[in-house]
Amino acid sequence: MDERLRETLSAMMDDEADELSVRRLLSHDDQNEVREQWQRWQQVRDLMHEAPSASYSVDVAGAVRAAIDDQDIPIADKAEPVPRAGGYWHWPVAAMVTLALLVGFGAGAGWGTAPGDPNNALAFTGVDQRASQLALSKEEIALQRLDEQQLRQVRQYLLEHAQHNSVGAGRGSMGYARMVSANGGY
Amino acid sequence: MNILHKGKHATARMLMVIAWFVFAPFMAAHADNAAVDASESMTAMDWLERLGPALNMTSYEGVFVYARGDQVHSMRIAHRYRNGQVEERLVMQDGGSGEIVRKGMDVVCVLPDQGRIRLDEVIPSGPFAEAFTNQLMPVSQWYQPALMGEDRVAGYEVVTVDLTAKDNDRYSHRLWVEKETGLLVKSHVRDIDDAVLEHFQYTSLEITDDIADEKFEVQTEGREITRHLGAPEPQQSTVGRMTGWTLNWRPDGYMPAATPSSSNGKAVAFSDGLATFSVFVEPVKGLKMPTGASRVGASTVYIHEVEVAERPFLIVVVGEIPPETARKVARSVSIDDALAQRWVASDH
Repeated sequence: MDERLRETLSAMMDDEADELSVRRLLSHDDQNEVREQWQRWQQVRDLMHEAPSASYSVDVAGAVRAAIDDQDIPIADKAEPVPRAGGYWHWPVAAMVTLALLVGFGAGAGWGTAPGDPNNALAFTGVDQRASQLALSKEEIALQRLDEQQLRQVRQYLLEHAQHNSVGAGRGSMGYARMVSANGGY
Repeated sequence: MNILHKGKHATARMLMVIAWFVFAPFMAAHADNAAVDASESMTAMDWLERLGPALNMTSYEGVFVYARGDQVHSMRIAHRYRNGQVEERLVMQDGGSGEIVRKGMDVVCVLPDQGRIRLDEVIPSGPFAEAFTNQLMPVSQWYQPALMGEDRVAGYEVVTVDLTAKDNDRYSHRLWVEKETGLLVKSHVRDIDDAVLEHFQYTSLEITDDIADEKFEVQTEGREITRHLGAPEPQQSTVGRMTGWTLNWRPDGYMPAATPSSSNGKAVAFSDGLATFSVFVEPVKGLKMPTGASRVGASTVYIHEVEVAERPFLIVVVGEIPPETARKVARSVSIDDALAQRWVASDH
């Protein structure tokens, strides 16, 4: 993805993208890449703004999907008829949220991540640059490069560890969350 | 039924000790309005103590988000305490449908057919060890508690409590505690640079006794698996048992805790009352693992390989501890020659 598209995405996050840029973004060859970038930023944004990330209307998502699928029709007209102001296309919150749902959480981010999908490595992108600043730098392993079996084994360790703090150990929902997270592979 | 009885016992003890998360003193909210009124004068430690005592004994429903590293999950939860028994139902909100229903010590798991989840991995594969000491860990010895102020989370008034690590062998925590019940509604795990590594938060919440019974029934179609969270076999219950190996160093304040239910008793967990790490020691079998450290949010996985009696062994440290600490722990493990040989032999 080039810098300009990235900027457009970023502008969308801030409700400041102009329509042309958005259309260009949506016609970008690699929609997966766009989707992933958006999803990552959206997650960060949700956490920062503490927006709820569940239970949005599926119908609205459908409308946005239709709009995106049919790129000849101006998106703004079809999904959210919001007048442009000051040269910017102001994204209404609902559209922001549904787009996030559509391209992010709705796009298979979750339990059903396909095996062999390189994105599975997401689970281990927590391999943190920060950590490399520690004395560990030379030992730091990029778990992204683990093969399927090795990843599975690492997850197993994470899971067993999480279990100690989970149901029986009374950590309740936090324990479940860690456990599911250890399992998720996403 | 003996097993069931013992299970309750062991679990109750565990619950008392690691009462940090989620459950709150419902009793206190109702029976002790004076305490609520006095919330103005409560210290950070007072709030922390409220997190624990009436563990599990609050009833609520809502949706929470859990994020670590790049992963974000949300789950819907209903939880109530009735007739001395915890009932709980969690429904995954992302990806495929799945749910976990718990009634007392019985757990039912329904998970999607597709996807990468192995059903038997998600709920505990065996009994939990009789765990933890009988006393509350002196958390304030390793963390500096401080009352940070007031806030609002998921529509509820909360107080914010910081637990700042006093050394580099643990992460700092920030807790958002609901004022009336003491329910934990949000938490952060932060590293030394104050970066948030792990984030737990209710985005919607209702604390209420009035939750319909059907909210605790399994509703998802799919393969179900049922487990009973029983007590361990007596011979497995030794706290902190390290068969055939010794941990020569561990950070101050971490005490042996639950023995993991698997790994043939070759794993041990340690806790300082807030953070935990597990140490796995096992002979290298077919699979070759990379060595070194990796992080997922606040969780570190450190893998170290050693040769004992000409046999390769894998030492894995997993926990919510800094990578450097995990490394030191892993490298302090020494494996007993004779025991290692017998152990390898018995594996075949």
